[in-house]
Amino acid sequence: MKILRKTLFRLLFILPLIGFTSNIKAQSDPTGESPATRTYAITNATIVQAPGKLMEEGTIVITDGLITAVGKNVNIPVTAEVIDGTDMFIYPGFIDGMSNTGAERPANPERPDNLFTPDPPNYYAGITPENQVIDQIKVDENSIEAMRKVGFTISHTVPYGRMLPGSGALILLRDADHPDKLILTEGSSLYSQFSGAPGAYPGNTLGIMAKFRNLYKNAELSKSHSELYASNPEGITRPTRDRVSEAFYPVIEKRQSIFYNASNSLEARRAMRLQKELGFNLVLGNLQEGWDLANEIKSTNTKVFMSLELPKEPKNSKEEDKSDEVKRLEERRMEFYKKYVTQYAELQKAGIKFGFSSIDARSSQLKDNLLTIIENGLSEDQALAALTTNSAELLGISKIAGTLDEGKIGNLIVSKGSYFEKKSQIKYVFVDGEKHEYDVKDGSKVKEGDETPVANLEAILGTWNYEFTTPQGTQTGSFIFTNESDILSGTMTSSDGTPDTELQNISFLNGELSFDFSIDAGGQSVDIVVVGVVDGNNYEAEASVAAFNFTFPIQATKDEA
Amino acid sequence: MLFLCTSVLQAQTKKGDVLIKNGTVITITDGTQENTDVLVRNGKIDRIGKNLKAPNGVEEVDATGKFVMPGIIDAHSHIAGTSINEGTSQVTAEVSMEDVVDPLDVGIYRALAGGVTSIHLMHGSANVIGGQNETLKLRWGSTNPEDLRFEGAPRTIKFALGENPTRGGRSRGIQPQSRMGVEAMLRNTFNDAIKYRDAWNAYRSNKSSRKVAPEYSLRMETMVDILEGEVLVHCHSYRADEIYMLMKVFSDFGIEKLTFQHANEAYKVAPELAEFGASASVFSDWWAYKLEVYYSTAYNAAILTENGVTTSINSDSGELIRHLFHEAAKTQKYGDLSDNEALALITLNPAKQLGIDNRVGSLEKGKDADIAIFDNHPLSIYAVPQMTFVDGVKYFDIENDAADQRIYIDPESTVENVQIFHAEDHDRCMEGANVVNFTDLFNNK
Amino acid sequence: MKKFISILSVLVLLPLFAAAQNDGGIVRADNSKFALTNAKIYTVTNGVIENGTIIINNGIIEAVGADINIPGDAQVIDYSGQEIYPGMIDSGTRLGLSEIGSISEANDFREFGEITPNMQALTAVNPNSVAIPVTRVSGVTSALTMPAGGPLPGTAATISLFGYTPDQMFAGSKGVVMNFPSTAQRGWRRRTPEQIEKAREKAQETINDAFDKAELYAKIKESDDARYYPEMEALAKVVNGEVLLYIEVNSAKDILSALEWIEERGYENVVLTGVAEGWRVADEIAESGLPVITGPVLSTPTRGSDAYDTAYKNPGLMQKAGIKVALRTMDTENSRNLPYNAGFAATYGMGKEEALKAITINAAEIMGVGDQLGSIEVGKKANIFVSTGDPFQTSTKILDVFIDGYKIPMTSRHTELYDEFLNRTPGLNKNAVKVDG
Repeated sequence: MKILRKTLFRLLFILPLIGFTSNIKAQSDPTGESPATRTYAITNATIVQAPGKLMEEGTIVITDGLITAVGKNVNIPVTAEVIDGTDMFIYPGFIDGMSNTGAERPANPERPDNLFTPDPPNYYAGITPENQVIDQIKVDENSIEAMRKVGFTISHTVPYGRMLPGSGALILLRDADHPDKLILTEGSSLYSQFSGAPGAYPGNTLGIMAKFRNLYKNAELSKSHSELYASNPEGITRPTRDRVSEAFYPVIEKRQSIFYNASNSLEARRAMRLQKELGFNLVLGNLQEGWDLANEIKSTNTKVFMSLELPKEPKNSKEEDKSDEVKRLEERRMEFYKKYVTQYAELQKAGIKFGFSSIDARSSQLKDNLLTIIENGLSEDQALAALTTNSAELLGISKIAGTLDEGKIGNLIVSKGSYFEKKSQIKYVFVDGEKHEYDVKDGSKVKEGDETPVANLEAILGTWNYEFTTPQGTQTGSFIFTNESDILSGTMTSSDGTPDTELQNISFLNGELSFDFSIDAGGQSVDIVVVGVVDGNNYEAEASVAAFNFTFPIQATKDEA
Repeated sequence: MLFLCTSVLQAQTKKGDVLIKNGTVITITDGTQENTDVLVRNGKIDRIGKNLKAPNGVEEVDATGKFVMPGIIDAHSHIAGTSINEGTSQVTAEVSMEDVVDPLDVGIYRALAGGVTSIHLMHGSANVIGGQNETLKLRWGSTNPEDLRFEGAPRTIKFALGENPTRGGRSRGIQPQSRMGVEAMLRNTFNDAIKYRDAWNAYRSNKSSRKVAPEYSLRMETMVDILEGEVLVHCHSYRADEIYMLMKVFSDFGIEKLTFQHANEAYKVAPELAEFGASASVFSDWWAYKLEVYYSTAYNAAILTENGVTTSINSDSGELIRHLFHEAAKTQKYGDLSDNEALALITLNPAKQLGIDNRVGSLEKGKDADIAIFDNHPLSIYAVPQMTFVDGVKYFDIENDAADQRIYIDPESTVENVQIFHAEDHDRCMEGANVVNFTDLFNNK
Repeated sequence: MKKFISILSVLVLLPLFAAAQNDGGIVRADNSKFALTNAKIYTVTNGVIENGTIIINNGIIEAVGADINIPGDAQVIDYSGQEIYPGMIDSGTRLGLSEIGSISEANDFREFGEITPNMQALTAVNPNSVAIPVTRVSGVTSALTMPAGGPLPGTAATISLFGYTPDQMFAGSKGVVMNFPSTAQRGWRRRTPEQIEKAREKAQETINDAFDKAELYAKIKESDDARYYPEMEALAKVVNGEVLLYIEVNSAKDILSALEWIEERGYENVVLTGVAEGWRVADEIAESGLPVITGPVLSTPTRGSDAYDTAYKNPGLMQKAGIKVALRTMDTENSRNLPYNAGFAATYGMGKEEALKAITINAAEIMGVGDQLGSIEVGKKANIFVSTGDPFQTSTKILDVFIDGYKIPMTSRHTELYDEFLNRTPGLNKNAVKVDG
């Protein structure tokens, strides 16, 4: 894996020099890294062309990015690099229904001076539906490789942001020198979330629901106005440019769906409520609690991408003399765990054709979670469909992706052993006809994924100088994190002489650092929760004052010394 | 004017049949009747009388020696809501608690176990014109918020005066920061709404096919609905002067229906309230938790009642809602209200304030079968709620009362998750303190 | 002769009394010798006297019984048809320390610092707090008033709810308050078991450290060279058993840890307070022999998975297990709801008699003032109230209250505002316009 990463790095480095494109012809490559051919043939493999459609000892040919042949007796082009597929299973590349893969989280919008909280500027309110995710996409985002190596080849990537971050795009999880080259389709969705603006309107679900209705209604009016003006401007007030409203036009015309990030059942119901009132096409993404929603989903014609995130399986107490009460509570907790893991099979039974989305899930856990879902009733074919054909259909790309048929994009997974076996490993992932090879380790189960917690912690240990702005001026001081036998401790100091405060509940996972602390506000203890992202030596966070449902940004930089 | 189609996802809710036999039936509107039966058919009270026979298949409940009363109505509650305040703006008439109803809150069951059948889920008090509230029936067990809606209940909205909204203004550096500013903001907003209505009326009456619509504002739509009497105002208030101010503002704008919430000093302007026809929904005895409630009296409800003001007693708390019958009884200690007057404070009177008294609030033929049964007189300290029915469906039965009532359980939670009750943390109306004062927060002064 | 003089003095003084009690509209407390007659007397410790008399003299109950000779100089008050009880004791409040909840300047129960057991609640008691008359006219005559804050926030005091200086109010008992390290969740954010455990360990260390020092200090403090260390001085009194130690602890797990800690330390005069989950480990508490102050009874369950009425049932379940239980409101301005907390406890399993003890004699005994307060007995302080009936019953009226022998004016801000505003003058019209003709 290390070699691969190194290769990737070198590749990225040289890309601008050689102007890497999909058609390599007559170009020298002094590094010797680029492939000798764009034609591949994998022979003698078990080919799962589509869920339930399996071919033993088959051959598949990929030429210039497309699947050009699939079958038992296939002519292998002379230019092909032939890969022996003995013991290999080939699947269509997975399609992620909603994720941030490839997008880089932008810095939190700066709190404007003299912010008028009832009516903040759109960028601060998080109302930027006119934005395109491509502006956040970085070709060297780690998530592209992280998702690819577990089999994902296309992602519906949505932008980071607040209430209405912008429109999403379908991207190919390939290597490229420019984000444009990742794009399969743009404007695939208008992305929406229940995320309020810190300390400004709309601050929470209440404001978001109302604001959404207001924006939608005005977009409808604005659209009529523009059309009227376009048909004959004479005597009509000229419509002012309104990019927010304009961003809704394709939704109003039902050329574009609203993708709502609705992780829990109440959020899902709220999104469906808006759909019922306003009539747009709705897709729910990241749904984690869907077991009570089958009827509503069907009656509103809502499309669904179920989350691949699962709760951890509860561990029951091993104490032998535990009380009946504890036993009963553990049973109920397990009953609910089961609801999470069996809901996929249940929704399938209810006739809901869902895809999968990874937005809240960790790439390293996707396969484990998938296998858990299969253990709990979803068949392998159904799971594969949710990863491929269903997603392709829901995203409107069935003609070009989702199965291993001639003419489709060369997106496929080559797995040593059935992908759905716990110990199987992915050997190749082809994206857009390009081969990505992975080390396959022999022997027992390969531990993939997370770096160990200790290594992880290193990234934050030390002193961070923070800063945040209050009406009384800028507050500064430092957070100091220490590690005592793998348990994080932290202290907050303040430059203005306020006594040091101990940081509580420190958690650092996947680059997200959160903790909380209490301060004395006139005799009343107030808890403040800080959640943010560590990027190298920078920490961008939001602090929320739980008791008051109020948030403000905090920035910190790590002290190099 | 109504843009929101409010019943879009309305589900069919369960309706029950039951015959409650031989109880002491406290009707509120028609006296207390001993050894009397209440027959419920399809969720409605079908008959109240003696020696009624259960029709085929209708369950009988023996209430011998027990007290049967209308389900308790809490005119001020914050249980069953995932958010309470959109406190970022001082006018948020467009937001609605109907969007954040949480049917999974175990507080609902605990309220049922206190004989409560309906609540007024209110927006918080952080803003002068807060969000719209939602009247709910406690149909516990459903995961669908729509199932809890009190279908057909009038729309209501929260206003707030005094310390909470002015504190918000101060911390955000905007108006209002005084009670003067609160009045101005109210008048300005209503005047804006009139302009808005005029603009839309002009647009609607314009016959041209080439007309251009004015900007749409859900906020102003709601304000217009208030002016037209379609949305009832429930105003968080404490001091007599601010209560008086709002009545003057409403007189000027021709708004007739008005309920003051908390209204700790309403007793000081009881004659004025009575003349205006405003009503009050008060605490039984809360006071002194902030300056504007320092000059309170537990006799508030009694003084208001004696002055002819329609008065209710509310909880504003997930704890207190469980014993509103006891809170109502305090008016007998503080002001000698009769049994019927005291019980009306938590049944018929809140129903009137919410505009649902044609459906609930008393035991009468044709009304909804929202019923609570107690083993002792409900005003007795020794009263224990036995059963609670909503639409004739039994949602609480002390004989069949499992401890763990949670509907959804987080699999990652610890089994023994202990949360200690602190009276000081206890909401009161401090839920309105949705803003933070940095001076207070970051200085140990 | 003596008798004659005293009769004479009464005759002379009587008109003066009348004047003294109501000069310029101010009603003053009356400190006569009283004979309260014809009442049903609930002594708490010696049963119920159906038609009894109580003689109050110089702050003390001088006599109580069915056949009592009424001294000639006593002011006789006929309470026929009424009931008399010992004054109620609220075993946990902030009375006198907090005037207006939201205003930090009006709150004096929290001092800065982690280890501040030397902070004296009694010092900061405002004898003229508006909440005090509001509380006592409801029959609550004494209260434990407590500081709050860190692991060892200060020393609580038992006070009488009548007096013009803290010393006049002091009711003879003090105790150091300790917040036992908690594993319960606070606020809305979930802590992981590891985080909770870590925080708990740290707090436990702080406490152990303080008490280790205190034990050492207790040994050396008499020496001339001992340093001045007021915090340890306060704790040394706990170590020596001179003052009570109130240990606030609530979750079942923490209660067990606390019991272990107390046993290890071997401290005497320890009281468990809070004890919200006491019912879960009632047998263990009973075995320790430690008394418990619990409440508020009117609170929500400690766990989402608990039955709705667990808080109501908790005191009764503990009492039935053999624990000596007192109740508290943990309130300030609404400490007057103490009888209703007891009423709910009574209804949900404790029974009336035990619930009454929990707010009278048990409370007094737990605070170490059982010889002075908590029952109607000869020689005890005359803290009693007269009611129209069962004091738990919500509609019952409290007619008179005696504290330390003083007959207390039955007025408070709440009654005064009622009197002024029930029929306000002017009503709707200040100067009704007279129509001519």
